[in-house]
Amino acid sequence: MSFASMLSGLTKKKVRFVVVGGVAAAAHGSSRVTNDLDICYDAEAAATIDALASVLAGWRAYPRGIEEGLPFIMDARTLRNAPILTLTTSEGDIDVMDRIAGVGPYDAVRRHSERISALGLRFRVLDLPSLIKAKRAAGRPRDFDHLPELEALLALRRT
Amino acid sequence: MTARQTAVAAGADLKWIVNSAALLGRRVRYDRQQAKWWGLVWLLTGQLGLSLRTAAALSTVALRGDSSSTQVIAGADPSGSASLIVDLARYESIFLGNLSRALVHEIPRRRGRPPRQGIKGAALATAQHYGIDLDLIRSAMRRTPAERLELLETNAAFVRAMRRRTA
Repeated sequence: MSFASMLSGLTKKKVRFVVVGGVAAAAHGSSRVTNDLDICYDAEAAATIDALASVLAGWRAYPRGIEEGLPFIMDARTLRNAPILTLTTSEGDIDVMDRIAGVGPYDAVRRHSERISALGLRFRVLDLPSLIKAKRAAGRPRDFDHLPELEALLALRRT
Repeated sequence: MTARQTAVAAGADLKWIVNSAALLGRRVRYDRQQAKWWGLVWLLTGQLGLSLRTAAALSTVALRGDSSSTQVIAGADPSGSASLIVDLARYESIFLGNLSRALVHEIPRRRGRPPRQGIKGAALATAQHYGIDLDLIRSAMRRTPAERLELLETNAAFVRAMRRRTA
């Protein structure tokens, strides 16, 4: 149960994704501790949808915050019809999204991402200016609360 | 549930729900059961082109409560030549996905105007005003992304262990 195991599972199955949210913020230097991995995946690529659904099914993904035992089929059809899912899995909590508010769909997210090497893997994370835009667009109290730290990071990086 | 959460859980547009409820003479309630019902009505009208009234009637039949069956015949012609089958297991999966997203992500937004965009030079002062330790940020910036994520992994594991212990 770790970010490394989740990211490794996704990269091994060749899922086209960009890490966004708290893990991306941490990669840029945020000190906030997050417990879930947020990714934006390429919903235009059928192979990615199939691979992502297969990985999530293998991790026994189930909607987060919903009582256990209800029928939930984790497959490509469910992902196509509910492209934003907040899931709890055997590997940890994961949010999968086909687009990011304030940035756009996967292609735009990828354009605003950078490749990093961490946790023994190479993967893409959303860049800091776009992460700030996304937090601002999401508009939830916890996103706004994160903004001063992210903007300070950006300011320090530019000095 | 809020109105917006209900719409997200239904996978439908909130204005459409409100307008459709008026057309059907139905009071709008924002809860899980209603979200599920509106989601199916939205699906039947939008994807199959059924009229609102027909879709509403068929959705009521389909979601009548016999949850043990995975498929229900929501409607059929008298001869049985044509019928509309709802795959409840599939619909429930999509609905639960949307419901989870609504409950986790669609928490009420903060009222009023969002904080001003960071003004050049003022970001550090703003951060300090919010009680953010700039030295902590500076020390984080001296690390590589790999070192930062190793640290996050360690801290997240600690938080998970603490939660398990206190659960």
